[in-house]
Amino acid sequence: MIRTEHLTKRFGPLLAVEDLNLHVERGEVFGFLGPNGAGKTTTLRMLAALIAPTSGAAWINDRRVGQDDEAIHASIGLLTETPGLYPRLSAKENLSFFAKLHGVEDIPGQVRKYLTLLELWERRSEPVGGFSKGMQQKLAIARALLHEPPVLFLDEPTSALDPEAARLVRDFIETLKGEGRTIFLCTHNLEEADHLCDRVAVIKQRLIRVDAPDALRQDLYGRSVRVQLREVTPEILAAVRALPFVTAVTEASPGLRVALDEPETYNPVLIQALMTAGAAIQFVERESHSLEQVYLDLLHESEATA
Amino acid sequence: MNRKRLQAVIEKEWLDMRKNKMVLSMMALLPLLLVGMILGTVYFMERAPDSEYDPATGDSGMALPPELEALGYKEGTIILLNDQYMFYLLLIPLTLPVYVAAYSIIGEKETRSLEPLLATPVSTAELLVGKTISAAAPAIVLTWLSFVLTAVGLNFIASPTVLAYWVRPVWSLSMALQTPFLAVLSTASGVIASSRLNDPRAAQQVTGLFIVPLIALSLIVLMGKVYLNLRLMSWATLLIAAVTVGVLWLAIRLFQRETILTRWK
Ligand SMILES: Nc1ncnc2c1ncn2[C@@H]1O[C@H](COP(=O)(O)OP(=O)(O)OP(=O)(O)O)[C@@H](O)[C@H]1O
Ligand SMILES: [Mg+2]
Repeated sequence: MIRTEHLTKRFGPLLAVEDLNLHVERGEVFGFLGPNGAGKTTTLRMLAALIAPTSGAAWINDRRVGQDDEAIHASIGLLTETPGLYPRLSAKENLSFFAKLHGVEDIPGQVRKYLTLLELWERRSEPVGGFSKGMQQKLAIARALLHEPPVLFLDEPTSALDPEAARLVRDFIETLKGEGRTIFLCTHNLEEADHLCDRVAVIKQRLIRVDAPDALRQDLYGRSVRVQLREVTPEILAAVRALPFVTAVTEASPGLRVALDEPETYNPVLIQALMTAGAAIQFVERESHSLEQVYLDLLHESEATA
Repeated sequence: MNRKRLQAVIEKEWLDMRKNKMVLSMMALLPLLLVGMILGTVYFMERAPDSEYDPATGDSGMALPPELEALGYKEGTIILLNDQYMFYLLLIPLTLPVYVAAYSIIGEKETRSLEPLLATPVSTAELLVGKTISAAAPAIVLTWLSFVLTAVGLNFIASPTVLAYWVRPVWSLSMALQTPFLAVLSTASGVIASSRLNDPRAAQQVTGLFIVPLIALSLIVLMGKVYLNLRLMSWATLLIAAVTVGVLWLAIRLFQRETILTRWK
């Protein structure tokens, strides 16, 4: 659905995006992560056919960006970093204008649908200049959806929202995903990315890594379980180390962190061995690394190799 | 150029204009002020005795161009003054669109609404044409309205000769032909200024570029050095058209998707 080949953008001497190769499938929620100034918004602007790449190319739904921009614009919804609404116009007037530009058939129906979904219908006739940041953000999301685009570009959709509204928007994004839309999501909220995205890309000018969050975790840290014990004795440690499927054991007071390849298969064996060694097991849990940890480690790693 | 999208842009601009008190008051004030000033002066001039306008006897006399001498001092002077006022009416198409365009474009820069807008199927040409029409059309209508309103007023307070000179072909034609060009020229200048400036009031200052030559011209006419005839007006119209095309070309060059998003500050 979205494809780039050697996509590069320079602003004078500044290299904003370099040699980006991406492939986002139809119906996928694709997270785009990277530090401030990494080139996320710049990439998004190139994909949305707003600015031209310095070199390389991009395709949206097999349409080449820069060649068939009107058709591309008809098939995408873009939520920009700032809401960019007309402050003197009402919520309804803001949306109707964009619906007209998109040639939407049932303008009142679509406007009503999205204002209701984003809980703004009650305030539809007020000038949006008086809206809170969060309400403006939600209205901008509604505006990106009026024409039911198959591809959505969202630049930090929940950054201005309170927890409740952020939740509403996240649930909303899941609904959109359920409708089979392709969603390209720039965000600094890694929990959100973890929760929503099928795959994430970490970039800093260049692409550092792209994969499903769980695959990244496994790749970086392997898989492991954390077993909380009342007490760790040398016998217990020895018994665990003796197990052939265990790749690493570290003490994590009070208990052990055990790395192993297939916890689903071997955890019962591990627990059996622990009990035989006389361990008093308090808790057994999947060791989880936050996507934040993954992200930070990937960035450090890339800095170290650079 | 898609007619529906163009229409949507124009309607949105006008909706926004109606809610912008600064722009509305400016639009109402300038024409009212000018029409009031013209009718007011003519009213009082008509009431003074002929001798007042004879340079030999009165204080208000002026050297008349040969073309007006046959009318006598009083009517000649009123007509000469009205000819100067006519230039002032052209201030409406020259200044209002700059103001409207600056508010519209700088407003979009401030709210950052151009980026989501440019991500829709609307083309930059549709946007520019839409903005130009929505800024120029009200000014053109207001100019014509002021011209007609003044004529109606003159019908009541001035002699038939004064009225006949007000609507004589030189002026009717320049109203009909020059006003639209001037309004487009003014809008395009507003667009160019707005690409660099961030305050609509600062963009207003480009109107100075037009006002100074216009006032200078009107003074030359007032001094009786030049008498406006159709030939002169045709040349002036051609010149205005050429300048308009040039400035519009510059505005189009600045109004490109990428330039707007990356270079307009
Ligand atoms: N129009 C421009 N002219 C010059 N440099 C630019 C322009 N737009 C972006 N840049 C530069 O390109 C780099 C990438 O910017 P970009 O906005 O894409 O980052 P980002 O990943 O979206 O950051 P953030 O997380 O802060 O939104 C930055 O160094 C920025 O200064
Ligand atoms: Mg950004």
